[in-house]
Amino acid sequence: MSDFRRGALAALKAKIAALEAGGRACSASLPFGATAIDELLPGGGLPLGRWHEITGAGLEAETGAAPATFAALMATPLAARGEAVWVFRRDDLFAPGLSGLGFPAQRLIQVCARDEAEALSVMEDALSTVGVAAVIGEVEDVDLTAGRRLQLACEKRGATALVLRRSPFGNAASRGAGSTSATRWRVASAPSEPPAGEFGLGAPRFEVTLERCRGGRTGAFLMEAAGAYCWENTDGAHPLRLVADLGDRQLAPAQHRHAA
Amino acid sequence: MRGTRRIAVVSLEAARLRLYPGQKATDAFAIAPELVTEDTEPEADAAALEALVDWCVRYSPAVAADAPDGLFLDITGVDHLWGGEAELLADFQARLLAAGLPFRCAIADTPAAAWGLAHYGRDGTIAPPGGQLEALGPLPPAALRLDPETAAQIGRLGFRRLSQLFALPRAPLAKRFGKQTLMRLDQALGRTREALSFRRPPTPWIARLAFAEPISAPEDMARVALDAAAKLCARLEREGKGARRFELYFHRLDGKSPSVAAGLALPGRDARRIAKLLTPKIEAVDPGFGIEVVTITASEVETLSGRQVKLEGAAQPGIEDGLSPLIDRLVNRLGEDRVWRAAPVESHVPELSAGRVGPLSPPSEAKPWDPQTPRPIRLFRRPEPLEGVIALTPDDPPTQFRWRGQLHRVRRAEGPERIGEAWWTREIEDVRVGHVRDYYRVEDAEGGRFWLFRAGLYDSDAPARWWLHGLFG
Repeated sequence: MSDFRRGALAALKAKIAALEAGGRACSASLPFGATAIDELLPGGGLPLGRWHEITGAGLEAETGAAPATFAALMATPLAARGEAVWVFRRDDLFAPGLSGLGFPAQRLIQVCARDEAEALSVMEDALSTVGVAAVIGEVEDVDLTAGRRLQLACEKRGATALVLRRSPFGNAASRGAGSTSATRWRVASAPSEPPAGEFGLGAPRFEVTLERCRGGRTGAFLMEAAGAYCWENTDGAHPLRLVADLGDRQLAPAQHRHAA
Repeated sequence: MRGTRRIAVVSLEAARLRLYPGQKATDAFAIAPELVTEDTEPEADAAALEALVDWCVRYSPAVAADAPDGLFLDITGVDHLWGGEAELLADFQARLLAAGLPFRCAIADTPAAAWGLAHYGRDGTIAPPGGQLEALGPLPPAALRLDPETAAQIGRLGFRRLSQLFALPRAPLAKRFGKQTLMRLDQALGRTREALSFRRPPTPWIARLAFAEPISAPEDMARVALDAAAKLCARLEREGKGARRFELYFHRLDGKSPSVAAGLALPGRDARRIAKLLTPKIEAVDPGFGIEVVTITASEVETLSGRQVKLEGAAQPGIEDGLSPLIDRLVNRLGEDRVWRAAPVESHVPELSAGRVGPLSPPSEAKPWDPQTPRPIRLFRRPEPLEGVIALTPDDPPTQFRWRGQLHRVRRAEGPERIGEAWWTREIEDVRVGHVRDYYRVEDAEGGRFWLFRAGLYDSDAPARWWLHGLFG
């Protein structure tokens, strides 16, 4: 790509971003620290002041363990900047577990809502509060109206929302048709790899698919929570570490066939 | 004695026929065959008295029930709201009369004197300040609230009037009639204090709004909530205080007084914020035929100095800017038990190691959770049983298990971590080795990470029981 085309593309992208932001200042982003991911995301990192969707597969739609872990890891750097609020309908979140992941669980405000609508409205309320940096909500479905409302609430103070799609009492997982989220991540646990010569489990690993990314591209990755279950501080590094880029797995053989 | 029906209370008409409480019902029927009796319901009477006590809060926050059929109303410092004691009493009597309640009342400096005047004096007596001696003088000794035997003995000795008793020297009086008599005498004359148990703890933080016309529209109720809160908060501000809890009472025409309450996470005195918290709850209040008086009380009042203007770090928002109002909104909408922060509890039993504290309470002193002992992110309230567990040796982690109908093959495992029960909290006979749990953290072939445990020690006769207690991400 020539310099001229690249420049023109960047200008166009900025224009679109400005249009989408509706005249508000362009929001910041939180880089993962791995170019393979950051280059897919608009602004070179997880866009802040937006809402993001995290889903699980299979049984995870009810238990939501891997998505919750992933969300906590994503929210850890945000929780250092302000308050964090976790909204759910089923209170099976275990604070010592969050603490083990490096998340400041003692400062987390937990809210148990009675129903779906209440959970969403609590999220909105928390997002539009001064001093709240991240809101994690476990809800079944976010329709277009709810999504738009969440987005407006995020833009008020620049807080970031992570929506865990979870049907907490075992209903059939609803098919999210349309969604206005900035990104959507599908998360599944992946087998861990302990360092050679060690017994037991390694750091938790996740197979992460970036299914949807507004103003960016999609991809798939293998990520690891390197700092989980140890005292060591990771010195400001993102708690999620990229292990491998799985994005072009299907694409590569196809290209190969084409060449042959 | 048992099985005898006796008379508990008599009406004025029955009293005129010389029927008296404690009389056998058959005797009473013999005297007055046309007698109409009703079964006595002490619980209902107590509940009615309680309701009356609640209603009386419209006059003063300090109301004490005097079971079974009386109440004390402390009107110190509130009578001027009606224009004086006589006007207050007239208003009180008119309302009781309208409610169809028979009553006798009196106003005096001391509760004991008021009791005596109300029970044995002329109804509606107002003893002038310091005038108990004269007011009580002509009353019989029973007006001192003595037990019946003492009162009867005093009567037998020829004392018909309290003035005769007042004239006696104290020491022989105490010797002859007991300390109780002397105490009651002193209480009546204001020489010693009498402790009343008020229905609500008396609070000086009360504001009251009365309306010329009863109101019932929801928007009016919301507005008076704001007005009443503003009145109270102005006082709180003047004295440099803030409160955590506000209760608003709507006194209805029919004598009921429903209330709504709002709590704050940090003490405050912002009337608009308090009214905002109260407003959604007001919708549920039934105004009946109308509300004529509104009172608001503040409790958990603490000193609240004015906010310091921040010199530095102005970019960092303070807790009272955003978080504290948010917590208040959530707590008042969802309930106190639905918003919390987790706090470490020093217990090795996993389900007990995370406690709940108020969202803005100071950080706990307990040792924080050890991040090096992995704990699941989802902990089931009740461990779920596992089936088809195969473990090579009794102490080994399982190689496969079935959970919710799905077979998981274990690829990696850690453990065991033995967690015993807190045996020191139980009786020694209740402690069993079967309460020991051996926890394993396992990972299946797909990467799912589970926290499961085997209950009890190895027993060659009984198969081991396995449970799933939580999930790691």
